[in-house]
Amino acid sequence: MARSSTTSDVFNAIAEAHRRDILDALITGEKAVGEIVNGLPMSQPQVSKHLRVLSEVGLVRCRSEGRRRLYRLEPARLRPLQEWLAKYEQAWHDRMDRMDDYLSELQRGERQ
Amino acid sequence: MTPNRHGSARIEFPNDLEIVLTREFDAPIQLVFDVLTKPEHVNKWFAPYEEKMKVCSIDLRVGGNYHFVMVTEDGTECSFRGTFLEVEPPTRTVETWTFEGWPGVEAVETVDLHEADGVTRLTHTLAFRDKGGRDHMNRTDGLESSYDNVEVLLRSLLDPEGTVSG
Repeated sequence: MARSSTTSDVFNAIAEAHRRDILDALITGEKAVGEIVNGLPMSQPQVSKHLRVLSEVGLVRCRSEGRRRLYRLEPARLRPLQEWLAKYEQAWHDRMDRMDDYLSELQRGERQ
Repeated sequence: MTPNRHGSARIEFPNDLEIVLTREFDAPIQLVFDVLTKPEHVNKWFAPYEEKMKVCSIDLRVGGNYHFVMVTEDGTECSFRGTFLEVEPPTRTVETWTFEGWPGVEAVETVDLHEADGVTRLTHTLAFRDKGGRDHMNRTDGLESSYDNVEVLLRSLLDPEGTVSG
């Protein structure tokens, strides 16, 4: 799916496994690019490229400290994903409840 | 009226590939199995109230296919398809699972039923394809990324500490 939305949509941004690894690396706190690279099997240019995409959708924020550029996670930007999943969870609950009601209905019918 | 079990489904993410739903029903196992596998029953409960079942075909035998299409209020069609791999009434079915809205994503769905004291416990597992399988699909479909990856992240999001800390 080579769509331009990769850089504008949180869902597309995190569909790439390496970008999720980078987010995971930032869960423990702010890190410089070098520190992220050290912990992952990726080259510095690759990491920088992915960080740019993550910055564009707002999932990471960058600040400069002297010559170092530090990246941190913006967990609030993950909210659309959580909401999306919650919808599916609710749909499952509802489906099971409808099945429950239907089973009761069938059993009432059998007894009559 | 006896109290119902509404809202009692448990949804768990035991690992990176699986979603497991468990739910108990106050009904004998054979009836629960029929309600899960016969089109005349599935038609009655599968789709949400505001959605309509448009297609509901189930060829319940090993190698047989099923196809569900639900139509949402705004006319969007949601199509699910698969092939039965195991059919063991009234305790178990295993089938492949694909959703048209997520191209390239494949899962194996397992439905296990167990009855004790008149209560039937349903364990419904969706196991998304392993990484090797995904890579294979990516090659044949030319898809670089697919939404099963999103699924994996969502699972980690369910752990609230993972999202709040950092």
